Amino acid sequence: MATTLQASLDRLRATRVWKSIFRRGPAVTNRSRSQAVFGNLFLHWLPVKVREKALTVRASYYLGSISFLLFIALTVTGILLMFYYHPAVPQAYRDMKDLRFVVSNGVFLRNVHRLAAHLMVLLVFWHMFHVFYRGGYKPPHEFNWVVGVILLLLTLFLSYTGYLLPWDQLAFWAITVGSNIISAMPFVGSKMRFILLGGNVVGENALLRFYVLHVVVLPLAAFFFIGVHFWRVQKDGGLTVRSKNDGKK
Amino acid sequence: MAPEEMGKVTYRMRLIFAASSLLFVAVLAVSPVKDLLREWKHYKRGYLQFARTRPDTKRLTADYRPDLDQIWIPEMNVVDRCASCHQGITQATLADGSVPQPYRAHPPIPHRVREWGCTPCHRGQGVATEVAEAHETTLAWEQPILPGRYVQGACGSCHHDARPELPKLNRGRQLLADHNCAGCHRLQDIERSVMQGPDLTSVGTKVSREWIYKWLKEPRTVVDDSGNVKVNGYETQESPRMPQFRLSEQELHDLSAYLSAQRSHPVAPYKFSGAVVAKWGKRPDVTDQGELRFRQMFCSTCHSLAVTRAGETKLIGGEIGPELTKVGSKVNPDWLAAWLLNPQGYLAHSKMPRYEWSEEDLFTVTRYIETKLTDSDLLSNVPQLGAATKEEIAHGKKTFSEKGCASCHAVGSSGTQKDFGPDLSALGSKNVSQLEFGKSTIPRNLSSYIQAKITDPSSVNSAARMPQYNFNAADLEAITTALLSMTGPPATSALQKLTIPRGNPQFQPAGEFARIYERYQCADCHKFNGYGGDLAPDLSYEGSRAQRQWIISFLKNPQTLRPTLTFRMPQFNMSEREAAVLADYLSMVMQSPDVRQEAVNAKELTPAQAALGKQLYEVKYQCQSCHTIGSGGGYVGPNLNNAGNWLKPEWIAAWLSNPQALVPGTIEPHRTMTDGEIKALTAYLMTLRQSGGKAAQKQVAAHGAKAGGNGVAGQ
Repeated sequence: MATTLQASLDRLRATRVWKSIFRRGPAVTNRSRSQAVFGNLFLHWLPVKVREKALTVRASYYLGSISFLLFIALTVTGILLMFYYHPAVPQAYRDMKDLRFVVSNGVFLRNVHRLAAHLMVLLVFWHMFHVFYRGGYKPPHEFNWVVGVILLLLTLFLSYTGYLLPWDQLAFWAITVGSNIISAMPFVGSKMRFILLGGNVVGENALLRFYVLHVVVLPLAAFFFIGVHFWRVQKDGGLTVRSKNDGKK
Repeated sequence: MAPEEMGKVTYRMRLIFAASSLLFVAVLAVSPVKDLLREWKHYKRGYLQFARTRPDTKRLTADYRPDLDQIWIPEMNVVDRCASCHQGITQATLADGSVPQPYRAHPPIPHRVREWGCTPCHRGQGVATEVAEAHETTLAWEQPILPGRYVQGACGSCHHDARPELPKLNRGRQLLADHNCAGCHRLQDIERSVMQGPDLTSVGTKVSREWIYKWLKEPRTVVDDSGNVKVNGYETQESPRMPQFRLSEQELHDLSAYLSAQRSHPVAPYKFSGAVVAKWGKRPDVTDQGELRFRQMFCSTCHSLAVTRAGETKLIGGEIGPELTKVGSKVNPDWLAAWLLNPQGYLAHSKMPRYEWSEEDLFTVTRYIETKLTDSDLLSNVPQLGAATKEEIAHGKKTFSEKGCASCHAVGSSGTQKDFGPDLSALGSKNVSQLEFGKSTIPRNLSSYIQAKITDPSSVNSAARMPQYNFNAADLEAITTALLSMTGPPATSALQKLTIPRGNPQFQPAGEFARIYERYQCADCHKFNGYGGDLAPDLSYEGSRAQRQWIISFLKNPQTLRPTLTFRMPQFNMSEREAAVLADYLSMVMQSPDVRQEAVNAKELTPAQAALGKQLYEVKYQCQSCHTIGSGGGYVGPNLNNAGNWLKPEWIAAWLSNPQALVPGTIEPHRTMTDGEIKALTAYLMTLRQSGGKAAQKQVAAHGAKAGGNGVAGQ
């Protein structure tokens, strides 16, 4: 059976459609393999060659990758949730009720989105600590460290803006408290708060602003910086792997 | 790992991969499975099974769809999915009590379920599709379903007017108004009346300190848990006006001292002329004469007296004014005569009419009250209080304001204070989390809270200032219903459009009529254009009904048209001129648009028609089963002996064609008569005239005396 499968795969690779998409033959040599990676949008920001050690669990605990997967999961569930959500008062809360009582698997959707968000915040922090204690901020990784910090902040902002959207008491007061903390900033505090809320109270304008930030601005920024982050991992020479000489003079 | 082993996957890894994949799929399957087992789907299937057991299965399942059922009314912001489980809600054949819930039909109401939804009346969470979430208070929903016995409260949140279909709600609102709840609380639809409790500016001139002490201690005594009210030891239906405050002995001393010192605007004691005192002062029958006049003037229409009959003592008389059995031991004699002459001189908002007293009557009636309506034991339990000290008065003043007395009672020119208690105008929409239950163990819901607060305010808040009220279970339920109806302004303007405002009847006459109307307090008992009391006939259309001359003679000497009634119009001793002014105003102004003067021409009514009318009266329509003419007939309707002098022919005609159009709710049957028959009956009734003059009046006066005697016999 294996041979028939192989044969049919070979036949497929010989077709014009396949060739038009992948543009090259089977990756059998190192050169053709690296060409295959370079020539693919989704693979080209990964290194062509990886040190074996970098793939072990202990090297990274896959914290960055899992964070990215969570981000993907959040994007997918978030888009599905957007089909059921109106950023308006009081419809927003009614939509929560509908998700719970009427939408098929609505509770599941919400829970996945929420739990994934919590988990992502946790893992991104863990990722940062891990990189820090491994010395991953050291040259040549300084720039990527800074990008990582930006991504951490974006994650936190995403989490914060998403918190208001259910428009329940918890959301309302959390954002009230949060925005009051912003206004404690010297000189610009109250202006910042006004800009964030689109007014002086947590109301319909605030809900709309938080919604736009949560579903458009911040995810796009996060996508951009994730791309840069991954790209730089490759350009900076892969993961920081502890060598046997670490900790020794 | 050696380079040649790279890319090789071990058996163990495959196993782990396979197991975790299976686990992942299983976890993912949880949500769809839960979706399949939703509660409402269970009830949907149950309804199909249930419908199969009924004879009219086909009709019951005609509209059945396996999906969610919801009532969506965008303009009211209603999304009610209740019908997803309550499948039979509009099926008339499922109205029977034996039909199991949730499939039973809704009892018939004026609103169609499909047009109004469920939660606008029943509350609860309409969007929910789970039993607990829809009906109860849960983590994310605080307005549970309104228990069935309070559902009229839901009607009241839109229907601010009084509707006959809502007796419990109306009763509750009435109780709230009667007990002056608006004195301390802001309430929806119930405004503060001008006078809550009596003005106490000069109460020291009216009653003694001992009596004040006694009253403060036991304003009304409640005998049992069912809340039967006793006044001075006599059971009564009257609602107690002054509630029971929890006052300490010291507070009783201080308050009685403070109040007995209030004498800032005393009424001048009335001095009887020497002639009257000389004539009546020594006569032994002075109190008998006073009692006779007391009865003839029909004081009992408003005031009750304790009467012992066959070993049973009960209060007999009206409830507009206070019960008077022991009033002689209460009030100061000097004050009494001045009060009877001009009640409004002492209490500006008093409901008591200003009678036209002859001095002799005033003397004898005052004497009767002072000597016969007394109880030597009234103040026997009161300790010796002595004269009020300055310190007591100062403390009493403080207590007076701390206890909120000033909410109902004005002292001096400052008037009463507002908003002593919390605003309750949106109590009905309060969430459970907003209520203070203290250490009480009552169920955590709004209706239990309201009931606990009313029966024993300190049970939910030990520092409560609210006095204690004792209502029987039915009244408590009525009050709770009325309070639950106060949900504040509607949430949306669409709902605002649905509310039916409370009618605010006003009757503000002017001129000479207004002066006499105010003097005799006509609106205590009669209604004028929807405003006033309901003890006596509505006079809004009196001008269309009665002839001017008859009104004058009636006012001067009220004779009863309905001998079976207990309460009679008092004899005010009105002057000819006053009676004429009232009659003129009533004839000119209080007209019904439905009674047209040109409809019947009295001059065209022939004796032949009258004869036919007599026959119709006696044979075809059997009017004598309710009405009296001469000496025969029933007592349900008014006596028609003098109909020709009393009624206007056009009124009779309009009345006979449709009585309920003129007086909604009247028990006069609505018969279908031809125009000819109406004319004939009108002609007949117009021939019924009693000879006027003194004979008739004498008879009436004697009758009145007899009836009055019945009312307060045994005194």
